[in-house]
Amino acid sequence: MTDPVATPPAPAEAPERRPTDWKGNVMQRRIARRYAAERRFHAMGLGAVLLSVGFLAFLLVTMIGNGASGFRRTEVLVPVDFAHASIRLDPASFRGPGRDAALAAADFEGVLFESAQQKFGGGSFKLLSEGAWLAVRNKVADNPDILKGQAAIWVPASSAIDRAAKSGAADADLDRVRKVTEVRTSFDLSFLTGADSTDPTMVGVWGAFKGSLLTMLVTLALAFPVGVLSALYLEEYAPRNRWTDLIEVSINNLAAVPSIIFGLLGLAVFLNTMNLPRSAPIVGGLTLALMTMPVIVIAGRNAIKAVPPSIRDAALGIGASRVQVVFHHVLPLALPGILTGTIIGMARALGETAPLLMIGMRAFVSAPPGGLTDPATVLPVQIFLWSDEVSKGFVEKTSAAIIVLLVFLMAMNGLAIYLRNRFERRW
Amino acid sequence: MTFSAALVTIIALGVVAWALARGKAAAFAGGPRPHSRPGHHGWYVALWAGVPALIFLIAWSVSMPGLVSSETLSAPAAAQLPADPMERSAVMAEVRGLASGEMAAGFHPASEQLAPVYRSATTRYGWIGFGIAALLGLAGGAYAWFRLTPSFRARTAVERVVMIALIAASLIAIVTTIGIVFSLLFESLRFFAKVSPIEFLFGTTWSPQTAIRADQVGSSGAFGAVPLFWGTIFIGAIIAMIVAIPLGLMSAIYLTQYAPATARKWLKPILEMLAGVPTVVYGYFAALTVAPALRSFAVTVGIPGASSESALAAGLVMGIMIIPFVSSMADDSIAAVPQSMRDGSLAMGATTSETIRKVLVPAALPGVVGGVLLAVSRAIGETMIVVMAAGLAANLTANPFASVTTVTTQIVQLLTGDQEFDSAKTLAAFALGLVLFLVTLLLNIVALGVVKKYREAYD
Repeated sequence: MTDPVATPPAPAEAPERRPTDWKGNVMQRRIARRYAAERRFHAMGLGAVLLSVGFLAFLLVTMIGNGASGFRRTEVLVPVDFAHASIRLDPASFRGPGRDAALAAADFEGVLFESAQQKFGGGSFKLLSEGAWLAVRNKVADNPDILKGQAAIWVPASSAIDRAAKSGAADADLDRVRKVTEVRTSFDLSFLTGADSTDPTMVGVWGAFKGSLLTMLVTLALAFPVGVLSALYLEEYAPRNRWTDLIEVSINNLAAVPSIIFGLLGLAVFLNTMNLPRSAPIVGGLTLALMTMPVIVIAGRNAIKAVPPSIRDAALGIGASRVQVVFHHVLPLALPGILTGTIIGMARALGETAPLLMIGMRAFVSAPPGGLTDPATVLPVQIFLWSDEVSKGFVEKTSAAIIVLLVFLMAMNGLAIYLRNRFERRW
Repeated sequence: MTFSAALVTIIALGVVAWALARGKAAAFAGGPRPHSRPGHHGWYVALWAGVPALIFLIAWSVSMPGLVSSETLSAPAAAQLPADPMERSAVMAEVRGLASGEMAAGFHPASEQLAPVYRSATTRYGWIGFGIAALLGLAGGAYAWFRLTPSFRARTAVERVVMIALIAASLIAIVTTIGIVFSLLFESLRFFAKVSPIEFLFGTTWSPQTAIRADQVGSSGAFGAVPLFWGTIFIGAIIAMIVAIPLGLMSAIYLTQYAPATARKWLKPILEMLAGVPTVVYGYFAALTVAPALRSFAVTVGIPGASSESALAAGLVMGIMIIPFVSSMADDSIAAVPQSMRDGSLAMGATTSETIRKVLVPAALPGVVGGVLLAVSRAIGETMIVVMAAGLAANLTANPFASVTTVTTQIVQLLTGDQEFDSAKTLAAFALGLVLFLVTLLLNIVALGVVKKYREAYD
């Protein structure tokens, strides 16, 4: 055994080296300094992670803080005297086949205005929401018999009163209303079932959500089969030549092209050349499908690559054709991985805004779309449009819509993680 | 006959053909050993019955509106239509709306007369198309039906079709790329016919608002895009990277080198959630919370030119969004450094942080640089954050509290206004898109090249 501190024979002219004094003050200070640097570096790493996570938490807390009240709505109890209203409405006409036409023709707005004037005096219009009469109409549609007499109806309050009631701030109008009638703030189902409106108390996310669903449907129907088929071709059949290299390069590039460029493509090709309808889910779906397809191809290729060659060899060995090998054995085994990639790609498409602005999905759409060619908007675009509104009541509605969107994205990502954990297989 | 009804009929025909042919092929079992399984015979006949008819149906539905329009325009009532093609197409849009029942009344008197003509022409051409498609389907099905014999190689034929479908699907990526390049290039050339490319690339004044009349002030507009390029680089490549590189790199180092396995298991997905939040949410957050806070800070400190829409707000939030990209790229390249290098350094008595700083990071540097380039490419293509938080003023300023504008913001601004499609203003958006596409493409190619070259070094 050699002495660990023994030095090799030094050249003659070098000064004599003494063994390092590990216990000496100089060395101890140096070690302490190095350990301090180590701790600092460790703390910086932890700090970076915590800062990033903290930012995410701050974002979520801000959105929930701003948006939680957006799911609630303030309502005012207004006694409506149908029997003595200047516009007489006949209960019989709101029954039977003519019901919808009669409901559309009747002037509920006038009836409500009259009742509100009696109850609150002058300037009652700014106390109630613009769409307050819809509550009266719904009440009559449910039970036309109330037209014979008087009924107390909860109608949505105006945006200013709504905000005052939620924040608990002193407000002259709110106090005035509180003096003469009841005011309540409760969970607002119409935010989840309604469509866009110019009045923040009347808006809902269902219209945009349905637009998102239709758009995603088109995206999935196009991107999934095309993505899976091209992943199969590239991984299982493609010869290594210049053509398949070109295909590979263009798929990898498409995955990194900025999303707004796909919007420009959609505008130039689908709208201006093919004359498809503007603002329609079908065009949005086509555009997003081109964007999602490369994501599915890349995920699909990884999943297919993970299937061991022995499975293919075994199937080929008992006489299956190459198409049978792929469609009966490789594809079913790779499917969980492909599905995980597809869900992640769809989640990305669901949150996409910029390309859809390019193809005109920023129009004001007050009714949920009925089909693939109807004008529609999607949730992220709806959020963008509401964020531009001047009216203060839209702040909480925008945040509430963001909460809805985030809940769906997290559900999709959670499903992807679950699928990965459930079906992941080590060969 | 509507398109969807025809589609359902053709598909039903295919299903029936499949079932019948499968039954016929199943009966071969008694004789000589057949070449293909009954299912392949079924698919063979179904493909012959369905595919030609479907192709015809799609081609017909594309060409039908033109046929219907020309027939409507040749009707006697169309003689009173204005000669101007723009007004003509407006009237035709009304006719279409009336015929489909979406509109109750047209503005132009002729549209009311033309609507019945249009409707009957639509119905007639619809039935003609359906008839031909059905004939094609039946003829194709019958042809295939009579070819079925025990020795017929149905499987080979069906598999050839499957291969064609696979190749066609993988060609869509190329078609999309070509579509992007051509649509950008075509519109950009029209733009450069009106505005000189030199002014566009080197001019320093950006004011795309063109006046309606030629004699007004600012009738020509100015299309010098340098302030846009600067704003894009300032936000995406400078401010965002100042946030993203240290945070992303340190996060990756902590998660790979220090964090216990359970902490890593939880922290990594949480960090990745930052990349999954939609950009419109970041944009709203930047505009609603970050920008006002920064502005009041700047006003308190006394920085001149503080705007409520600042480069800093957009850049900060964008940097946060980019953290997971930088950290996962850094993670990969640190993991690719051979364990022996790390062990060697530790064995020499270096502390963990010294090993990381002096051995791992230098060895992983090309991969990290590649990741940063990819992150820059993503940041400069990002739209919603800058649209909502960066502002519209085309300033050439280095003050992060001032408002700057970016290429993507201007594309959105130029294309969401109400202007006719041929003006220099709307075409400018495509020229900006072309520049953005080329720059991000270049960054991606360089980044992927760097990453690839580096990865091979340790194999």
